[in-house]
Amino acid sequence: MSMLRTGLRAAPKARVFSTTATRAILPAGPQVIDGTVNDAAKIPETNPTHGSYHWSFERLISVALVPLTVAPFAAGSLHPITDAVLGATLVMHSHIGFQNCIVDYIPHRKYPKSLKAAKWALNGATAVVLYGLYEFETNDVGITEACKRIWKA
Amino acid sequence: MSLSRSSIRAAAKFSVRPSALLLPRAAVCQTRSAATTTKTSDAEAYSLLVEQRKKRPIAPHLSIYEPQLTWYMSAANRVTGVALAGSFYLFGISYALSPYIGFHVESAAIAGAFATLPLAAKMAVKATFATPFVYHSMNGLRHLTWDTARQLTIKGVYRTGYAVLAATAVGSVYLSFFV
Repeated sequence: MSMLRTGLRAAPKARVFSTTATRAILPAGPQVIDGTVNDAAKIPETNPTHGSYHWSFERLISVALVPLTVAPFAAGSLHPITDAVLGATLVMHSHIGFQNCIVDYIPHRKYPKSLKAAKWALNGATAVVLYGLYEFETNDVGITEACKRIWKA
Repeated sequence: MSLSRSSIRAAAKFSVRPSALLLPRAAVCQTRSAATTTKTSDAEAYSLLVEQRKKRPIAPHLSIYEPQLTWYMSAANRVTGVALAGSFYLFGISYALSPYIGFHVESAAIAGAFATLPLAAKMAVKATFATPFVYHSMNGLRHLTWDTARQLTIKGVYRTGYAVLAATAVGSVYLSFFV
């Protein structure tokens, strides 16, 4: 059935529905409508790897970082293997943190492709950073020693 | 279902009603142009609706919520985390790609460049890195405390929050100026 619509003229200068200034931090995203109002709400599928195991692993990494971060300050310098473990744990902690940001700010319903692209871009970046960390530990002095030398330069 | 939509008229033209006796009959009536309608397909009308939705204002959230220690500190935890992790990732990626780009980011190069800075600039750079690091670490301990189901009251949240802010002040001053 064809729709009858009125011709759209230029919008009036006065905004009719608000009296305060518009302050849009970001423009409105794509307006996505899934199905009809009569469809039941979708229950996300449960998966412990993305649920409770993920939470536990995140806390485990955070707890492990506490002694690993105190050690350089207490001991002055670290054995290369301990330094590498500190670096890798920091990378994992950063990766999980960035994942949380991506999941929070790019909702799946509105930006499914951007969400996937962002997740894979993060995976790629983490892989490059892990390789860079390996090179830094083997060719250069390691994180603890480098921070000490730069800080006291 | 037919959707008839009348457009908001910016100016409806009214002509002043002249005296009936002096002017010809045609000029006595008001003139007002009628709203025009055109036939549109469902898809066209839907795309028009989508365009109109994009112009609608978004309800304010961050700008109207009462500033509180709770969400300010939570936002600061995320901002400092992203800043620190972002710098770490940038350094890692630039070190990994340095042979192919010819950029020198070895520790000796950075230490040498840092040594040439004046004292005030050195203190500023140190403070810029030390403060987010100490804040994020202390707030991380605060989060781990909550994960043991401790201090999960309003009083506890504020108590631990002020403790984190005090520890951040002390720690960052110590690291920036005394190490």
